[in-house]
Amino acid sequence: MTNSMNDVVKSLEGFNPFIEEIDEREVKVTVSPDRVIAVLETLKANGYSHLSLMTCVDWIDDNQLELVYILFSWKDGGKFIVSTRIDRNNPKFFTVKELWPVARFYERELHEFFGVEFEGNDDMRPLFLELWDEKPPLRKDFDPRDYSRKKFPDRKYEKDVIKEAKIFRGEING
Amino acid sequence: MGEVKLFFGPNHPGMHGNFSVHMYVEGDIVKRARPLPGFLHRGFEKLMERRFWYSNIALIPRICVPEPDINEACYAMGVEKIAKLDVPERAQWIRMIVLELARIANHLMAVGGVGGPIGLYTASYWGTADRDRILDIFEALTGARVYHMYIVIGGVRKNLTPKIEDMIWKTLDYIESRLPDYENLIFKNRILHSRLKGRLLLTREQALEMGVTGVGLRATGVEYDVRKVDPYLFYDKVDFEVPTATDGDAFSRVYLKFKEISQSIKIIRQALEKMPQGDKVNVAVSKGSALRRIVPKGMAYAHIESARGEYGFFVVSDGKNKPYRVAVRGASYPQGLYGIEKYLPGTRIEDVPLWLATMDVCAPEIDR
Repeated sequence: MTNSMNDVVKSLEGFNPFIEEIDEREVKVTVSPDRVIAVLETLKANGYSHLSLMTCVDWIDDNQLELVYILFSWKDGGKFIVSTRIDRNNPKFFTVKELWPVARFYERELHEFFGVEFEGNDDMRPLFLELWDEKPPLRKDFDPRDYSRKKFPDRKYEKDVIKEAKIFRGEING
Repeated sequence: MGEVKLFFGPNHPGMHGNFSVHMYVEGDIVKRARPLPGFLHRGFEKLMERRFWYSNIALIPRICVPEPDINEACYAMGVEKIAKLDVPERAQWIRMIVLELARIANHLMAVGGVGGPIGLYTASYWGTADRDRILDIFEALTGARVYHMYIVIGGVRKNLTPKIEDMIWKTLDYIESRLPDYENLIFKNRILHSRLKGRLLLTREQALEMGVTGVGLRATGVEYDVRKVDPYLFYDKVDFEVPTATDGDAFSRVYLKFKEISQSIKIIRQALEKMPQGDKVNVAVSKGSALRRIVPKGMAYAHIESARGEYGFFVVSDGKNKPYRVAVRGASYPQGLYGIEKYLPGTRIEDVPLWLATMDVCAPEIDR
């Protein structure tokens, strides 16, 4: 951990975080869901103002969804991975679109792919998938092979060479 | 005159890839714009969870078509970070050479891409023709022209032979000799100036608020480059500059890409000189056949400066032989979705393809 990142980590002590060092310039901060917004605000005020990525991990064995915010600082090149776990059966969280406007689209994507609801973000129209009728596809219990077998069942096709030859000659209409 | 809805989609010749924008126009002026991606959604993130760590190398270059090497590099760097793997030094220099060659190829294509919507077709022909010289190097080095699958976990697939090194030196000399011609015929051309100068302005505050990276940000006067701020590979051991401009318009964005070509040439030349000799260019993550190799538990985010901005892979491993989750940060996500909605209203219809071309909106990496 670099010195400037150490100072930032110290300023987060009040939120009772679990700190993990992944790399020299990459730190993972795990906090409880009610403190995430405050942690993000503190980090943004400390120069970690670029939201690199917002994503979600489905931990199906723990019955939890892990929300991940990756913040990057253009000043010292440090990365903070802020993570929190929410209930998988009732995934609800708060929007961060006031902090980063582009988060609106990330939240729309997470709603589509993981089924997470973001309070305060009204725009939850589908972004990538059209006419989707199954459970959110990036959840671990969604099986794409089963889905495509059900949606596009195999059709029997028997080749009739004589008939095709007749169509080819123009004797019958195919 | 009333408001008319105009669907500007992949079937339009002026569109930049498989992307669509729903525009509400009054006369020539865009009143509202709504981005609608999804034409290229292939579900890479789900597919990656169902394949082995090493098989994914064959899949991920397809996420970004014009510059596929960044995907392999990000993915490999993320996995190496989790596994705490020491990559041979020579392999890291070779990766740098490949990434910079890919950057030159992409910038040449981008210069050509701007030529299409403004009607300066010389740029398109020249850019595509010179890019092919770089693809020749890739073909000799990796066996493929576009999707190389060359950077693997733990190093690179094959060593760089002296013959190919010689080829790289010659090609760089050729491209460098072409740059004054580009400057004189394309960047001093009246068509380019009258169509791009002062169009699609973006201030520094707007760019930072939007979260734009790459040339879109550097054209507003900020010297933010991941290669300098958070150096990966050996970018801290080579000497290069990050060109910036202060205008923040479409012209300066294209011109910055052109200037970056000569910086990339500089980096590759230094890398070829500083690179240690040797045969060892890759190491294995764990024992056994490549399909059974496992990566220890953990998560990491690896990002690099692609030709379009910050490009990153977030990799999660649960200690098995397949990734648990991989998330991709496409470099053009902010300008392609939020940027279109917020900054296109007020511009003219013919400037919309220019936004997509100069801000490098790449549909495959938004959809994934």
